[in-house]
Amino acid sequence: MSGQKSERVESGTAAPARPTMEAQIREAARAYLEDVAVSCVIGYERGPRGNVRPAFIYEADDVDRLVWGADCNLNLVTYVHNWKQPLGRGQPVPTVAIVARPCDARAVNLLIHEQQIQRDKVKVIGLTCAGTEINGQPRLACQYCDERVPVVYDVLIEAEGEVTAAVEADAYEDIAEMESWTPAERLAYWASEFDRCIRCYACRQACPGCYCFECVAEQVDPHWTSIALELPEKHFFHVMRAFHLAGRCVGCDACEAVCPMDIPLSKLNRKLAKEVEAMFGYRTGDDPETAPPLTTFDPQEQLRL
Amino acid sequence: MKIVTQAQLNQWLDAIAEEKMLVAPVEVEGKLLYQPVDDSGAIAWGYERTDMSPKTWLFPATEPILTVEEGLETAIRPAQDPEPKVVFGVRPCDARGALAIDALFLDQDPADGRYAQHRAATTLVGLSCPQMWDSCFCTVVGGAPNGSEGLDILLTEVEGGYAVQVVSEKGEALAAGLQGEEQAVKLPEPVLREGLPELRATDEWRAQFDERYWERVADRCLGCRVCTFVCPTCRCFDVRDEVATHRPGVRVIERLRAWDACTVSAYRRIAGGHNPRPTQHMRLRNRFYCKFMYYPEDFGALGCVGCGRCIDACPVGIDILEAVAAVAETAAHPEAVG
Repeated sequence: MSGQKSERVESGTAAPARPTMEAQIREAARAYLEDVAVSCVIGYERGPRGNVRPAFIYEADDVDRLVWGADCNLNLVTYVHNWKQPLGRGQPVPTVAIVARPCDARAVNLLIHEQQIQRDKVKVIGLTCAGTEINGQPRLACQYCDERVPVVYDVLIEAEGEVTAAVEADAYEDIAEMESWTPAERLAYWASEFDRCIRCYACRQACPGCYCFECVAEQVDPHWTSIALELPEKHFFHVMRAFHLAGRCVGCDACEAVCPMDIPLSKLNRKLAKEVEAMFGYRTGDDPETAPPLTTFDPQEQLRL
Repeated sequence: MKIVTQAQLNQWLDAIAEEKMLVAPVEVEGKLLYQPVDDSGAIAWGYERTDMSPKTWLFPATEPILTVEEGLETAIRPAQDPEPKVVFGVRPCDARGALAIDALFLDQDPADGRYAQHRAATTLVGLSCPQMWDSCFCTVVGGAPNGSEGLDILLTEVEGGYAVQVVSEKGEALAAGLQGEEQAVKLPEPVLREGLPELRATDEWRAQFDERYWERVADRCLGCRVCTFVCPTCRCFDVRDEVATHRPGVRVIERLRAWDACTVSAYRRIAGGHNPRPTQHMRLRNRFYCKFMYYPEDFGALGCVGCGRCIDACPVGIDILEAVAAVAETAAHPEAVG
């Protein structure tokens, strides 16, 4: 967590200590809110019980509520979907600023590509990120992360110390075990994990890439799946969601972070990323122009199989 | 009062499990859930509050309430009678949760027949809480960590075992098989949480319906269903007729009832796509107001028992107790609200 290193005594030759990430975030937020064009800064604060939670800051006087720590593990870009419409008749689409890790920031590019947001309506307070945690444990994907600076940002919040990539290139060795299983073993594993699912949809709601007005899981006509909160429906929901996110998932694992039943969705996310990378040489959101491979059709396309 | 040792209690539970379904707190991948157990050895003894409430054993997350076999002749079959069961280790807040559901499903005319069947088939054996845990606030909403309301039997841990309080006739029948010794015993006082806010009357909630506060709270609401699914009193459901199977010449249709949640936009959407609760703040506010104003006014029971599960389960830190405190604060200092 930030804040701890700042107490370190610097030796005589060191450069002047950089302000903490928290202080930099607050400063960036203040600057944006004093500029009347930004309606709201979305970051993190600590709730009454000490837990971090999304904070919506409307006034420069409130920026000191903003915090940063390794437990800030949501993808706040998902909230941009609530700010896509004009605030009132005849008014412009509001501009919001968002605190984003490198993985989160790629969702901004994804949503620009999918024509959900306009680049100038979303100010990205990007972080150089040393990795975050889920339930107090280092996040799976962070251990294989080669991306420490966001590909898109308006303000860069730099860590106090040097932040180096966890790996040079991700070999996805962590999912090799799952891949060695027979289809029957994989089915049994995921059925047992999905059995705990309560079909609360928190994963879907926390995902910046899940923004359908009417989800397949809730559609009435056609009625794709039962309303039952039982294993076949849970299984269908998660597999359907995985396929809809293939090549569109940025790997932020917000879905896993919000899951009340601790279902290891990051394993699915990483499997998707690996396949898409291997077949199409594509990583979601590296730029706002390239279409996610499964959303386009090119007759000349050669899969790298 | 009858005192039973752990061994006697286990023996009794094992005997129950031989005869009918025994449901108890079990640890599954780190989560505490009420699930059927074969014997007392499977129970997660020493648990605090479970992650899910035992609600699903009285009001199943999903069940067919009717089956239609449509062929040359059409037959309509009611759902099978629920299996007799004992739910063990119910916390006093969750038992009050069942009473809150009763207020709508049993105490109104007509009663909900299916719920009544489940209620009749189920005996609730409670276990007192020695203390209020981190997010507990049962005392704010009229409960107590050692309350017996809504239970059939209440056990309280004492030195050398458990003190047995028989609460209902159903409990008396079940407790007959429980071997123990009559002893004079003083029940321990549970440790309460201090400094909790006061729950204001429904009129105060009515007066604050249009406060901007609700919009600010809902800014972070994801619109998922976690809070309502972990809640021991949320009882909204959806009903849908679905084709279950086809047999040659016969189509089997089930009328399914499954939990639903007022916090999602699809809940209130009506034919043609119109949504009378179009914004998330209206939906989240509805959940709070249902608990503290609509439900008590319409059905005479609070819709919240203070278990605190929604506080812990909310992935974005929405805290119902914070809302209770905010209403009390605004009521006390109306001039401070801008």
